[in-house]
Amino acid sequence: MGQKNQRAESAAVSEQTNLVEETNECAAARLLLIEDDESLAAEIVANLEERGYDIQRAATGTAGLEVARASHFDVMVVDRMLPELDGLSVLESLRQQGYMVPVLVLSALSAVDDRIKGLKAGGDDYLGKPFAMEELAARLEALLRRPMQGRASLLRVGPLEIDLIERRASRSGRVIDLLPREFRLLEYMMRRPNMVLTRTMLLEDVWNYRFIPQTNLVDVHIGKLRRKIDAPGEAPLIQSIRGSGFKLCVVD
Amino acid sequence: MLWIDLFRTATFRLTLGLVAVIIIGMGLQFTLLYGEMNGYEQLRSNDLLHRSAALLVREEPHELEVKLRERSTNELRVFLNGAAIFDRNHHCIAGDIPNWPKGLHSSPAVQPLTMTLPDGSRTMMRFLVVEVLGPAGEEDRLLVLARSRHMADELRYMVWHAAILSIVPVVLFSLLAGMLLSQRALARIKSIHQAIERIMKGNVHERLPVGRGRDDLERLSRSVNHMLDRLEQLMGEMRDVGNDIAHDLRTPLARVQARLDRASALSHDLSAEKSEVFDKAMGQCRRDLEQCFSIITALLRIGEIESGQRRAGFAPMSLGPLVTDIVDLYEPIAELENITLYVVLPDQPAQMVGDADLLNEVLANLLDNALKFTHQGGWVRVSVGLYGDGRIWIEVRDTGIGIAPEEREAVLGRFYRADKSRHIPGSGLGLSLVAAIIRLHDGILEIEPNESEVAHTGTVFRVIFPSFSVQNMTFSSGKERF
Repeated sequence: MGQKNQRAESAAVSEQTNLVEETNECAAARLLLIEDDESLAAEIVANLEERGYDIQRAATGTAGLEVARASHFDVMVVDRMLPELDGLSVLESLRQQGYMVPVLVLSALSAVDDRIKGLKAGGDDYLGKPFAMEELAARLEALLRRPMQGRASLLRVGPLEIDLIERRASRSGRVIDLLPREFRLLEYMMRRPNMVLTRTMLLEDVWNYRFIPQTNLVDVHIGKLRRKIDAPGEAPLIQSIRGSGFKLCVVD
Repeated sequence: MLWIDLFRTATFRLTLGLVAVIIIGMGLQFTLLYGEMNGYEQLRSNDLLHRSAALLVREEPHELEVKLRERSTNELRVFLNGAAIFDRNHHCIAGDIPNWPKGLHSSPAVQPLTMTLPDGSRTMMRFLVVEVLGPAGEEDRLLVLARSRHMADELRYMVWHAAILSIVPVVLFSLLAGMLLSQRALARIKSIHQAIERIMKGNVHERLPVGRGRDDLERLSRSVNHMLDRLEQLMGEMRDVGNDIAHDLRTPLARVQARLDRASALSHDLSAEKSEVFDKAMGQCRRDLEQCFSIITALLRIGEIESGQRRAGFAPMSLGPLVTDIVDLYEPIAELENITLYVVLPDQPAQMVGDADLLNEVLANLLDNALKFTHQGGWVRVSVGLYGDGRIWIEVRDTGIGIAPEEREAVLGRFYRADKSRHIPGSGLGLSLVAAIIRLHDGILEIEPNESEVAHTGTVFRVIFPSFSVQNMTFSSGKERF
């Protein structure tokens, strides 16, 4: 909830977003990684470079702070435990000096307390080790591409349309009957079209839960929603991304 | 119950021992006293017999006879209980001893003898035999003087009474003192017991009460406290080691995961056949790795919860909405499995103090579990209620495969999988996490078979939290301690 608000506050308000433009922006994104573990850093760099990021890496807190001040980055990934200056201190001093670059805090301490500390220090998202690269990539993408803001009472993505006041959803004019929890899920996905949304992101942001379910809870919810929005013969809108999560896929 | 407890205390037993010693001591004292007095009485008796004999010997034979006959009226009755003159053949001439007492010798010493009185009772008498002059002027007669022991008997009676009269109050007083002392000891033991119970409940920072005294109980309590300090330190070190291992495993595992992710991308370059094998292997690796992660995460979570740090984040909350929301989240799964999912909430709000995230985890785990083990067409019911004393209960009742009675305790242990559940995936840590969270909230977890009339099998998981006000008190004291 907290990070959602923070993201919302720091984001530029844009009613209608051009998706194609954003994807291009994403490809050119400059990323600063502050991580002391050599091989994990190497893996992250290799993986994210493949995804089109322009990455610079610092191994210590002080070095990271210098690099972050010296040039502009679109997004930062900061490990919490760093030699010399820890991640949260780096984050705090950056925020104090007015650097508003979105930051994802990375840490082996994934307990809720630490997460809250990380977010309080000015982090925009928090990811506990171990994590899947897809999870990191999805969250970075979410940080770079701000969700569509909720000023409008009507959200429209591809053939889908939801009325936030009437709590009504429709696809190409066909009214879709949704339960409140399904409506919330669809709204969250429609605010982030064409973005990979991991199961953890959905659980944390849509339902505000911080546990990892033993069952395929999220998949079941998505499955139900999918059956409601895709009538027989219509193109499926929600894609499963293997090893990552789900994506509301629309082409304009 | 209290009396049995009292009797069991070491102090009371010591008191009893002491009372026995006192009784024996007093018995000895009175025996000695009696012996002394008896000896003195014997000496006095002998003296009296000798003196009377000395007086009587000087009498004329005829005078003596008269004196003896009229003994009941003269002064002789005071000192003597019997007196007679016998001839050499032991025939009574005069006096009130009709026959020569059996076993009496003619000797100048006092002889104690048992006699049968005319009424048939036997009594001990002291006899003195002296030769006296007969009418012929020769010493051919024997004067026998007898004195009963009734003075000695009276003395014994007196001493015995005195002994009883003094022993009874002493014993009663000692017992009373013993009881009071034991009561004190019992109260101290009770407070120690309560402290130990709190420690066993998981409040590892608690210590035994120690005052400023230096008695054995205090010294023992201090030693136990030192031991607890040491144990706590060791426990902390153990936990740290466990956490460090889990922690240190994460980074290399994260690297493995990252490499797997990158390697997966290579499947495009392979032939269709190879690519399928490759993808399958990759998928299996991912799943195994995910299980590793979930075990590590759960272990670290349990460690974190058991450390009690999370208490700092406790806040007042209402259980009703919490339960409604989580049931709503699980509703689609129940629907998919054709299981009916009910919620029953109490009329009044169930307010408590706790960590909502953690309680959600408890509910999610219990629901996960209930749904996982319930067959199609069954039902799962989540209910919340309040006991009369303000305690709150949450119950997850299912119609699943049930848990065997001997396994009910074990399922809460780490990594335990019931025999029947081996084929169902899971880390085996869900319920230990649940148990740790409930302990953190000072609650208890009960597992019972579902004996509802509609169900044939199934399990009930019931969580009972202490009443809100009690909980509040625990917190304030908890905060002071940390």
